[in-house]
Amino acid sequence: MKMHFGFKILCAILLMYVAVFAFLTPLSPALLQSDLSEIQPGEHTFTLTGYNTHFDGASTNALYLINDSTLSFPCTIEEVIDHSHLRARVTLPQEIHSKAFAFVLNNDVDGTVFLESPLKVDGFSLNSQLQPMEMPRFQQREASFFSYPYQPIIMESIRNLMWHVPMWFTMFFLMIMSLVQSVKVLLKGQRDGDKAAVMIDPDQVRPHDNKAAVSAAVGMVFCILGLVTGSVWARFTWGTWWTRDPQLNGALAVFIVYAAYFILRNSIQQEENKWKLSAIYNIFACILMFVLLMVLPRFTEGLHPGKSGNPAFSQYDLDSSLRTIFYPATVGFILLGYWMYHIRLRILKIEQEHENLLV
Amino acid sequence: MAVSLFTEIRLLLGKEWKSEFRRRDHFAALVIYLLSTLFICYLSFEKIADGQTWGALLWVTGLFTSFNAMHKALDSAQQPQLLHLYTLARPSAVIVSRCIYHALQIAILNVCSLFLFLLFFGDAVLAKMDWGQLITGLLLGSTGLGITLTFVASLAQKTGNGVGLMAILGFPLVIPLLITIVKFTRLAIEGVTWASNGYQLMLLAVLNVLAIVLAYLLFPYLWRE
Repeated sequence: MKMHFGFKILCAILLMYVAVFAFLTPLSPALLQSDLSEIQPGEHTFTLTGYNTHFDGASTNALYLINDSTLSFPCTIEEVIDHSHLRARVTLPQEIHSKAFAFVLNNDVDGTVFLESPLKVDGFSLNSQLQPMEMPRFQQREASFFSYPYQPIIMESIRNLMWHVPMWFTMFFLMIMSLVQSVKVLLKGQRDGDKAAVMIDPDQVRPHDNKAAVSAAVGMVFCILGLVTGSVWARFTWGTWWTRDPQLNGALAVFIVYAAYFILRNSIQQEENKWKLSAIYNIFACILMFVLLMVLPRFTEGLHPGKSGNPAFSQYDLDSSLRTIFYPATVGFILLGYWMYHIRLRILKIEQEHENLLV
Repeated sequence: MAVSLFTEIRLLLGKEWKSEFRRRDHFAALVIYLLSTLFICYLSFEKIADGQTWGALLWVTGLFTSFNAMHKALDSAQQPQLLHLYTLARPSAVIVSRCIYHALQIAILNVCSLFLFLLFFGDAVLAKMDWGQLITGLLLGSTGLGITLTFVASLAQKTGNGVGLMAILGFPLVIPLLITIVKFTRLAIEGVTWASNGYQLMLLAVLNVLAIVLAYLLFPYLWRE
């Protein structure tokens, strides 16, 4: 058998690149909260909490309280406590534009960060005809080629995007490979017309059957990995290891379908029969996988991004920087799946040859 | 072969019906199975307070009855006789007639099951139900189960360990159908309009078509041994 080194090297490089950037890139800085809950006209002192920010490392921190994108009130920073905490003071007038307030902070390290604050507004007179003030203008920080967007709730777990999603792509890739081989088994294993006496050539069919079985087996491994990474992610974002979501239950159903495929394979002794029957079942299984994972979730409400009003991941990723890791991760894992398949196939061949020698 | 596919299917259906009529005890056994399952449900549930449980239970019993209805397709004792018959007919006619036959059988059983449900559990939770939708769902669900299970039964029967493998191979394959039909039934019981149940109806139709197309395409590889 020819050795293919190229794709293995590519796979290793891609996955190392993904591992380094996915784990070492810090999350983009963001403002988490302020201890200001209720505001009236007059002076307020408050503490602002940031995430991954560098309040103490920056040369200047400019902080504003913005009212409905029309009024801006500069805050005086009294004390920078540490990299993520600072105390500031702001004076508010009697008349404001609306009840919507947001903090905007700019410094030379973090760039500009926002916090839309659900403040309880009391004692102001609302006037929507107020003359708009000039908004503070900040210089845009130079964007690095890759950064993780800060998302509430998801937070650091966004790194899982690079592991969880490629698992499913790889599973689909392997299961489709398995389907193609199963179709070949059926086509090559066909007898000519009614001449039942003509035996099919086992050496023509067995390699395809081996490939179908091995790629489905490796696909099952990626299905398990996808379920596990998904379950961990669900624990930290949805608060539970397992929940009623069509994609979760669909994935488990796919796992059961393919488990049945292997039970079917193992329960048939006669080889020719085994090839044919398992190929037929595999075609059913693969089409069912598409129904369960691609069709059914579209018609059911669920928790995954892009469903039931949840934004899809492409919407978080405004500057497409997530893709610079996500695409290499997908390709890398598909190559890894193919690599695993390759090794398993060679092991199976050696085992079969070994058995032939014994007989 | 001068006989058209259509005629072949009709003749094979007639043959299935005759053999069924000759062995009336088979169908009676299925009805008794259904009756005792529902009686056990009645004794253990006592009453069903919500439509969701009602619909789910209807389909769970429907599923198990359908698996039992496959005994004929699994019976390898009559295989030599069938082999002779099938050398006379096209495989596509064989699978289509078998699918139609089992779909009809399961539909009849599910209608019986519906009557027994009404008898045991009453129709208190069904006040808002859209009967048209329920009957449509019952028929489409039965045909879907019939087609898929007929195919799985022919596959399992070839392994020589039919009854054991039937459940293992069949249950995963009917999951999508079952999810859809249970949801369709729940919405029908809640009395939503046809339009808001349209997705489920469309999915049911698609799953039915998918099952019959796959069975039609793959059966020729399966039957001749």
